[in-house]
Amino acid sequence: MTASNDIGALAAMMFARALESALLTRADCGFQLLSSGQEAVAVGLAAALLPHDQLLCSGRSIAPALARGLDPGLVMAELIGRAAGPCLGRGGRGHLSQPSAGFFGAHAVVAGNLSIAAGVALALQARRDGSIAACLFGDGACGAGALHETMNIAALWRLPLLLVCDNNLYSVSTPRAAALAPRQLSDLATPFGIKACTVDGMDVRVVREAAVALTDHVRNGGGPAFLECISRRFASHSTSARETRGKKELAADRELDPIKRLENALLAEGTLSAQTVEALREEVRAKVMAACAFAEASPLPVPEEAFADVG
Amino acid sequence: MLYKLVLPGPIDDLSEVRVLEWHGSTGTRFNPGDLVVELDTHKAVVEMRASSKTVLRRILVAAGEWQQVGEPLAILSDSADEPLPDRAENLAQSSVTYEMV
Amino acid sequence: MSAEPVRMRRVFFREAICRAVRETLDADPNAIVMGQDVGAFGGSYREFSGLFERFGPARVRDTPVAEAAMVGLGIGAAAAGLRPLVSITYMDFVLLALDPLVNYAAKARFKTGGQIRVPLVVKLTAGAKGQGVAHSQSFESWLMSVPGLRVVAPSNVANAYGLMRSALQADGPVVYVDHKRLFPTSGPLDDSAPEVPFGMATVSRPGRHATVIAHSYMVSVALAASGVLAATGIDCEVIDLRSLAPLDLATVCTSVSKTGALLTLEEGQVACGIGAEIACQVQARLGPVRVSRLGAVPAPVSSNSVLEAASLPDAARVAEAVRRLLRTPEIPPPHRG
Repeated sequence: MTASNDIGALAAMMFARALESALLTRADCGFQLLSSGQEAVAVGLAAALLPHDQLLCSGRSIAPALARGLDPGLVMAELIGRAAGPCLGRGGRGHLSQPSAGFFGAHAVVAGNLSIAAGVALALQARRDGSIAACLFGDGACGAGALHETMNIAALWRLPLLLVCDNNLYSVSTPRAAALAPRQLSDLATPFGIKACTVDGMDVRVVREAAVALTDHVRNGGGPAFLECISRRFASHSTSARETRGKKELAADRELDPIKRLENALLAEGTLSAQTVEALREEVRAKVMAACAFAEASPLPVPEEAFADVG
Repeated sequence: MLYKLVLPGPIDDLSEVRVLEWHGSTGTRFNPGDLVVELDTHKAVVEMRASSKTVLRRILVAAGEWQQVGEPLAILSDSADEPLPDRAENLAQSSVTYEMV
Repeated sequence: MSAEPVRMRRVFFREAICRAVRETLDADPNAIVMGQDVGAFGGSYREFSGLFERFGPARVRDTPVAEAAMVGLGIGAAAAGLRPLVSITYMDFVLLALDPLVNYAAKARFKTGGQIRVPLVVKLTAGAKGQGVAHSQSFESWLMSVPGLRVVAPSNVANAYGLMRSALQADGPVVYVDHKRLFPTSGPLDDSAPEVPFGMATVSRPGRHATVIAHSYMVSVALAASGVLAATGIDCEVIDLRSLAPLDLATVCTSVSKTGALLTLEEGQVACGIGAEIACQVQARLGPVRVSRLGAVPAPVSSNSVLEAASLPDAARVAEAVRRLLRTPEIPPPHRG
């Protein structure tokens, strides 16, 4: 991986963090699930995807959408329910989607996107061009039958599907070990013969390296793969969920900040200087402002949209 | 003696058949166990086999045509030279075995 | 063998479905079939017979027993460019697939602002025929009220073909509900059989005295009851809905305007059923009218033949319901002063 990839990864993580912060300052912020703390998983995964791949995710969609390369103004517009959003303001964060940009997108039902992703993979398999479907989900989805059923069929049919479990160690308030019996979540895939591994989700280089290895495996007809990334959720589960963790735990999580980690590494390696880091932050601030301005300027949908495109 | 070949009813959940294929024509002699005709139904194919030596004298329902369970499909006889009747309905029913496959 | 082309054939109900699916698979390389036992086995009712041999395992795919995943896969595949038919042997087990069907397939076009479409057909077989409480249900009415889902129900060979052809060309999710008791039947099918458009009911039997609305196997029951009633001078008009969502209220209202008496007939429950919806909509358009609903008794349907027969509408019960309906006083049309 080249240095520019690392700088790009740092900028992408900074940008996701900054856009979410800007979103939170708004009165019309609405009900949000934030990616902060988990940016390395989204950015590391996205670095392994090619233009013709499709990325699906859960309701925690902001960093995945931005990492995939969606226009930030469009993303912000969708998040605040404006008509310029790719879903015309109707989907919001929970259903953020832009298939033309390789982002089949979010579905707010826990584990609800897994079999959908397998179906997308089935369609991509028929194209025979090496494109794959990747699906992001949390530890909370791992108790669902949908995961078991999807892994079974994906393995049987050797679907080009990469399952990425962003395990932030909590399903709302329930610690991972209280909800799920396996020693590690990648163990769920092993009985199906699916290539699986568990990595540090707070290190974007580690995530990227693992994602590249597994996407290569999937792309080359190796069948599906399962990547577990262990991350930390900096905020509570959602903007309406109470925080259940104590100050000490939260502080310890912050020590693992993937942005700080990569920044420090790049400074230590001489890839970046203090000035270039500051320049990067300035660029991020400007892009966030531009995205917000674009979204602000977009109108809300008209009430008649409530029954448009029903089908 | 002359017989009518029928798929003997009543058969649960089966009222009509469509002839798939005759495994003989006028004059064909069948030995016990020989496949005489295959019938298509809504669920399975029915194979009808001769249970005694018999001669196929006249096919009444051609391949592709339909018939009710219990109604005549063909006229059979013990020997090839017995004169044929006008109608098959009054003939004795031929003993056949049949199997759903 | 005749040199002239055969224009009309009598076929089994399963063959009408098979032909529609085969023609679609021939014409559209993106069309696929998925379900339990659809491959070499040819389908639980032989309704996919020969397709596996003709199109191969990539296009006619046996799945494990996992209805939620089957439908979810069908949805994702449809959204990404294929045209899948997912076949679930018993309507009862679509319950396992309601999350992807209702929460994704029915919502996808709306929630993505039109970016994602789901041209998927989910085929279900409804109805009671000796298989017991969890293999006998008809809950089409539950699916009819989901915005974004279309629901159709064939009643004979011709519309089994016509509705399946239409379903496999629709641009959104369609639930196609056939019935166990239709598979033993046969009927005529033209070589050049037409597609049956959605939202169009048909008059199966014209009549003057009472309108009987039915769909699927109950159309046969309604026609049998009409035969019984005709012998006593009661002339029923039987309407075959064919399409449940969208519903063809225009055809229904034209009939009820003529007869002034409406009996709705379904094998499902009358509580929150199709008849409830039709009765309400007819009265909203025509004003008060004599109406009665007939459906299954409010109980699970046993495999026991005595209990099953006691649970479901039959020709005798339909005829009695029509007689009772016609004994209630006519409601004069509203005064238009």
